[in-house]
Amino acid sequence: MGLIDNLEKYAQHQNLSKDKRVMFDSFIKKGFPTTSDEEWKYTSLKKVVKSDYNLLLEHTEIENSVINKYSLGVEDKIVFVDGNLVYSPEIKGVHISGFSDFDCRNNDVISKLNSALAKSGFTIVVEKNTVVENPIEILFFNLTKNSFSQYRNRITVGENSEIKIIENIQDLSKSSTLVNHFTHVSCNKNTKVEYNKIQNNCKDSTLIDCMNIFQKQDSVCEVNTLIFGGDFTRNNLNFEQNGTNCESNMNGISLLDGNQFADNHTFVDHKTAHCRSNEMYKGIYLGKSKGVFNGKIMVRQDAQKIDAFQSNNNLLLSDNSTIDSKPQLEIYADDVKCSHGCTIGQLDNEALFYMRSRGVGISEAKAVLTYAFASEVIENLSIPELKNLSQRLLAHKLGVDLDFSL
Amino acid sequence: MLKIKNLKAGIEEVQILKGINLEVKAGEVHAIMGPNGSGKSTLSAVIAGKEDYEVEDGSVDFLGEDLMDLDPEERAHKGVFLSFQYPVEIPGISVSNFIKTSLAEKRKALGLDPLPAKDLLKMMREKMELLSIKKGYLSRNMNEGFSGGEKKRNEIFQMAMLEPKLSILDETDSGLDIDALRIVANGVNKLRTKDNATIVITHYQRLLEHIVPDFVHVLHEGRIIKSGGKELALELEKRGYDWITKN
Repeated sequence: MGLIDNLEKYAQHQNLSKDKRVMFDSFIKKGFPTTSDEEWKYTSLKKVVKSDYNLLLEHTEIENSVINKYSLGVEDKIVFVDGNLVYSPEIKGVHISGFSDFDCRNNDVISKLNSALAKSGFTIVVEKNTVVENPIEILFFNLTKNSFSQYRNRITVGENSEIKIIENIQDLSKSSTLVNHFTHVSCNKNTKVEYNKIQNNCKDSTLIDCMNIFQKQDSVCEVNTLIFGGDFTRNNLNFEQNGTNCESNMNGISLLDGNQFADNHTFVDHKTAHCRSNEMYKGIYLGKSKGVFNGKIMVRQDAQKIDAFQSNNNLLLSDNSTIDSKPQLEIYADDVKCSHGCTIGQLDNEALFYMRSRGVGISEAKAVLTYAFASEVIENLSIPELKNLSQRLLAHKLGVDLDFSL
Repeated sequence: MLKIKNLKAGIEEVQILKGINLEVKAGEVHAIMGPNGSGKSTLSAVIAGKEDYEVEDGSVDFLGEDLMDLDPEERAHKGVFLSFQYPVEIPGISVSNFIKTSLAEKRKALGLDPLPAKDLLKMMREKMELLSIKKGYLSRNMNEGFSGGEKKRNEIFQMAMLEPKLSILDETDSGLDIDALRIVANGVNKLRTKDNATIVITHYQRLLEHIVPDFVHVLHEGRIIKSGGKELALELEKRGYDWITKN
């Protein structure tokens, strides 16, 4: 069988609209990308495509204690179980509902597939002039074995409004699962949006995530992508700036071990003048893990006075780990400031000895230095619970019992 | 406390220490002086356990245990402390976090729980006062962007926090101006007790005016070629090393 067969069989029994049928057919015609596609050069979906997945999700109930176990503990939670929206908070000025079908430009075939078949996801509309004080946590639980779930989400933030979101996809089925996650974010004038992704799913899960962010004048949008878990992760993060004085910030941590794989593809499209973008991705690779980073920055002809910065720093903590990193700057305006930097290295032996001479054991010393490496991203997290969780996950993954908070 | 016998050590097949003998008792301050390249820093690194150095012969007994069998962190747990000549910058870790971790790990090794946060902060404040360290310093990144003097002061601050039995100060005076030197030396003096010992490695008599040694040793080409009281340092200042090394 394999995934394509699963999909075709599933689609046959769906009452797809004509548009969606066309989209689906074009997806089938092209198929999943392979390593001969430039954007997937270092990222092979072979294993995923060969596997069988279940597209019909069961309807299961979930205990509150399970939700709490995976939750960061913030007050306002949106909870999905097997694609169903089971809980959403009441927040003044914020309208939260389930899946809303929306059309949008698709960057790639996998988003096209999502567009054709997805039937669940969230829709969040923040009214004008609304500052949402508390962060909203969105939890996606999956209990169906070997499921392939597709979420299609939309966030629209009204003028002068602010919101912070944390997203967490968690598989509870103890099987190989695949998630195709698509999120469309509209940041209207003078908005402040912060979106955090904790990608700490179990070891057999595959995630393909695509987030398209559209920014208008004076908006600030920040996306933090924190990858600790999962077997295979591909993130496509696309920013499009459509007004002056926009700021796009994206930070990431990939901390991988074993055979884990994670790929961060980012794209910032500077279409208008006087905007900024800052990008900081840190990768830490243990065991036989593999990372990919591709950071594309496009500065269009009219986008003068752009200040764009990108950095991708990587620590290879084992001889068998790999990173493929590619900065990709295309600049068509002449009065801009664009810089990028990429480093790949190991821990500094002098610093290790320094720590050990102070009584810190070798594993702990390595962990502290690794934390130091990642700290710029972790310390920047504005939600204390999230910062705390990241510190704990980092310590846990490096096998030490250390508290990095102070 | 510390008994070094016929210590021979080197790096990549080059022997640097060619048979060092030295005994340091609790309560004593020893100064090790000597021209550049005589092996002063090698000696301190070997005692602290730097793995780049290979010990070929001899023994280093610390409180009845052979230090050479221990990892650097175990030596620290037993009470050995090295104030680095060139302290390492660690961006991303604050001074307070660094010290909190060091202290907690040392206490863990000794079977003690970490100090409660309140007590830890109180202790930090006391020691900061001792070394005239300004507020805001704790949240700075470890040695990052520190001036030479700040780095050395940070070393002594760590020493004050970790309360070692044997402190080796490797050229703690280099990079210090006169005021900083006095503050650092004052701090070291205040931390002296009858139970701990200090080895001061220096080029100059200057530091020894503030930290007065009980013994002064001259290291030359990997051997201690002369030992004496504090007056030996004065004589070296006046006459240089030539008169000893030529014999």
